[in-house]
Amino acid sequence: MILRAHLKGILVGAAAAMAVVVVFAIASPAFAQDANVYRQFLGIDSRKLIWFLAQMHLFFGAFVLGVPLFAVIIEIVGWRNGDQRFDKLAYEFTSLLSVAYATTAAFGGLLAFALFTLYPTFMGYMAGLFKDVMFMYALLFFAETFCLYLYYYGWHWLSAGRPFPMLVRRFFQAIGLAMVVAGAAFFFGLFGLEMRGDTRAFITFLYILPTGIGFLLIKDRKSVHIFIGIMLNVAGTGIMMLANSWAGFMMSPAGVNEAGEATAGLWPIFENILATPIAIHRMLGNLAFGGLVAGSYAAVKFIGAKTAEEKAHYDWMGYIANFVAIAALIPLPFAGYYLGREVYSTSAVMGNNMMGGDFSWTFIIQAILVGSLFLISNYYLWSGMTRIPGAERYYKYIKFILFALIVSFAVWLTPHNLPLSGQEVGEMGGSQYHPTLKYLGLMPAKNAVVNLIILATFFSFILYRRGNRVDVVSIRNQGMAAKVVIPLAGLAAIAMVGQYAYGLLTMEAAELDLPADRTQYFRTVGYLLVFECAMGVVAVVLALRDMGRIGQAIYLASTAFSVVLFLGVYGFVVMEQASPFLRNVAVAQFLQLISCLILVTAIDIFLFRNAKEVGKLQWGRMSIRSQYALLLLTFVITMNMGLMGFIRSGLRTDWHIVGIMRDTSQWAATPSNHTMTQMVSLSVLVFMIGIAFMFWLGTVANAKSEDAE
Amino acid sequence: MTDQRPVPIDSPGDTVSGGSMAGVVAKVFIFLLVVLGAFQWVGYSITDMTGGEKKASTGKVEIGPEGGEQIFWGKGRCYTCHSLGGRGSAVRGPNLGQFGEKFPEPIGVRAITRAKERSEKTGEEYTRTDYIAESIAKPGAYVVKGYKNEMAVVYAPPISLKLDEIKAVVTYLQSQGGDFDLAAVTEEPGEITERYFGLIAASSAAGGGDPAAGEEVYDDNCSECHMLNEEGGEIGPDLTGIGTKTLKFLADAILEPAKSIPPGFETYELIDKEGRKHIGLKTDETAEEVTITKATGDEVTVAKSDIKTLIIDKNSSVMPADLNEALTVKDYQDLLSYLVTQKPKSEEAK
Repeated sequence: MILRAHLKGILVGAAAAMAVVVVFAIASPAFAQDANVYRQFLGIDSRKLIWFLAQMHLFFGAFVLGVPLFAVIIEIVGWRNGDQRFDKLAYEFTSLLSVAYATTAAFGGLLAFALFTLYPTFMGYMAGLFKDVMFMYALLFFAETFCLYLYYYGWHWLSAGRPFPMLVRRFFQAIGLAMVVAGAAFFFGLFGLEMRGDTRAFITFLYILPTGIGFLLIKDRKSVHIFIGIMLNVAGTGIMMLANSWAGFMMSPAGVNEAGEATAGLWPIFENILATPIAIHRMLGNLAFGGLVAGSYAAVKFIGAKTAEEKAHYDWMGYIANFVAIAALIPLPFAGYYLGREVYSTSAVMGNNMMGGDFSWTFIIQAILVGSLFLISNYYLWSGMTRIPGAERYYKYIKFILFALIVSFAVWLTPHNLPLSGQEVGEMGGSQYHPTLKYLGLMPAKNAVVNLIILATFFSFILYRRGNRVDVVSIRNQGMAAKVVIPLAGLAAIAMVGQYAYGLLTMEAAELDLPADRTQYFRTVGYLLVFECAMGVVAVVLALRDMGRIGQAIYLASTAFSVVLFLGVYGFVVMEQASPFLRNVAVAQFLQLISCLILVTAIDIFLFRNAKEVGKLQWGRMSIRSQYALLLLTFVITMNMGLMGFIRSGLRTDWHIVGIMRDTSQWAATPSNHTMTQMVSLSVLVFMIGIAFMFWLGTVANAKSEDAE
Repeated sequence: MTDQRPVPIDSPGDTVSGGSMAGVVAKVFIFLLVVLGAFQWVGYSITDMTGGEKKASTGKVEIGPEGGEQIFWGKGRCYTCHSLGGRGSAVRGPNLGQFGEKFPEPIGVRAITRAKERSEKTGEEYTRTDYIAESIAKPGAYVVKGYKNEMAVVYAPPISLKLDEIKAVVTYLQSQGGDFDLAAVTEEPGEITERYFGLIAASSAAGGGDPAAGEEVYDDNCSECHMLNEEGGEIGPDLTGIGTKTLKFLADAILEPAKSIPPGFETYELIDKEGRKHIGLKTDETAEEVTITKATGDEVTVAKSDIKTLIIDKNSSVMPADLNEALTVKDYQDLLSYLVTQKPKSEEAK
């Protein structure tokens, strides 16, 4: 019965994919210079219809792509630790996917039909240009379907068994090793140099290395299952990347002439400027989104739990889901910064319109939503401390973290160019900007506070980790693991910051079209990074000499000083004297921050490994309010995804493809923020109803399955 | 992730108050509706404050202040950077109306003062229409003190205004504080205005690129080999006055250089008796030797007695064939616009 329901899902998905392929195949070739044809269905506003369908497809797609990313990691953790609970949790996360997957495909098919029937000229042109990519998309869809169902239905079948013969293991390991080596060679540019650096990094870290590692892991049936999970993610990410090339091309077309005809084959068209930056941003967004949607499932189950076991289980599930979301949220602002930078590079008009034109108010709403995500995540962590005996010791720090978050939040959402009415500007003396607030609206201030928000969130996490631990454990007495892992983490941190320091210390002003005397600004930041590396060495040495907490404090303080205070202020000097270098300052801040998180976490793990505990974590001892916080996080991230999609797509203004094909329809004006909130709200509501229904179906199916067993 | 695993707080099997699942879901959806309601209220308030819903521009715009107003506050997106007195709130560019101490005169009057400044600076006689036309066609020519040279080229994508639409905007700006002079825009434009309108028309015809950005693309990709107005390399043909060629010719020359190689710039393939191959232009030939200049600028001189074959390769050009991959569409359109505007000096003077 259940299997039949799932097979129906497969059939729906397969039918949708086939339909898309057929539509592509029969699409008549049209060129960008043809007069556009627009149609309507039942008199409905075609743009709004496409907007809604695309948003629904993206919501379900993001969930379907996001969940396997962390499900397979949780499965690996369970497998390595021999802990069945992690394995069950990963299975439970995966079970949420099966119905959502078919719905994603159905919405994809519907979207494709709607696009081809309502925007035939535009889609004819796109299908002509991206024909090969679209077929590859459909084929990858089959690969993803195959992997997903094998991963889900093969879970128990591939859960146990004897290890494979040594010859078989060595064979897979050899393939894995070859792939890892090839991936490294590719990443460092031994081949594939014609690609953009970000595309090469994306392909290396999301396709080649995971596949290689998957092969290296193969030694028994369970590891084959993990390999299938990795392949599921590779196929899913590939699908997303292919579709992003279309969205990127519409904003930053490449490889075509002014008439829209291809001039140099498919690759430059596919690898347009914005394709990979969008893919990176979406990838992290999907991970955070998938985590939080799964977290909302756990929250609802927690609120309605009937037994203590249920409460404990769903509390734990919610915690893990929130952890995944925070892990993805931390680098997300940087991915957004990179995407925004590339948008500016593509077109200054587009960039200005984004931050200071039609979308300036939308960006303020976005800043409020993003700030809320961090604030609520912290609140959830602090609430979680109530389930930890001994965590009361750290309550006193919460007010300071909250203060830092609120101040940062305020700066984060302060626009440089306050969206005031003419009268209000007049009341400010006709001045162009507010005398004080104008500084808070500039990038150096934004970069400083976003780093502070992340550091504060990390600090909350560290307090949470230490909640019930009484004292540190001597690292000297922890065997080889600590002595290897901590220096390795230190090495990674130093390498990350050090290579960039070297770059800045050898960089010439001419590289950024600046006068030679501006080199001093590069050097200052370069030396600051060298200092940060030195602090990393100090932290590692102190940790190995059983002074880990001091090492952590020094490294955290040095990072906070560097990324928030020093570069926060120095950024204004750079902006004034060597503006193009500001983007390098942002990269320097990001690298220091990430390095700090890696090394401090590594030290912390060993400092408190097997430390004496005040008491066991009391899972389930969470307020109902905290579960609503988890739900609010899901609502906010879903709304934010809709809002960001509106901005990204709206930046094209009255172009289907910027500079190539104009939107000559009656809907070719940028919708207002009110229309945006209406459309996004509708999409969020329908998505939430759909996902709730699917979770309910999953629960019913699982209950029947358990009864049968 | 931590290594803490779920341990229930109460004894296994204990029941805890949870309520019915339907009730829980209902509460969650009421909560969602409240959140979405707040979200919509924010959207509604902002839209209400910022002038409501915009509509798509429809049809052709008449050249005149009314049409210009429509473009200024709509398709032209001028309002993104400029306010007009108390109307609008943008501050990136100068306010074009009368506003505070900084802008005591609206642009229609202010342009007369600016025209005088431009006349003194350039030696050409500027009218206010000339100044306004120049500030749109070539925004970097005069940058108001306290502002950056960052104005978008409005006849390039994504704004891509047509010449008539720009003329309408010029009349709209003229009319701010003064009478508009339609004839100075349509029937009897001054020399300077006409020159800038010509630039806009040529650029629009070339796909609407930005000639200023095209100059940078040219400097980065072409100037090393090509001479233009007595500056640049000598490997390729001199491009001075190239703007007289057709768009098709220019597009082909950029994207498929081998298709139309001008006489004297044929690609030679020289193979010496030791089998070494040299490809490039034949830049010198005497009775004893031949000199080939490669695309890199390196010269190779080979004695005629050492040459095995020397042929013209009609299928290849010394010019890189991968510019179509190296240039983005925007770069390409900008470059094309720049080249189209490279008229011979005598024609420019007209």
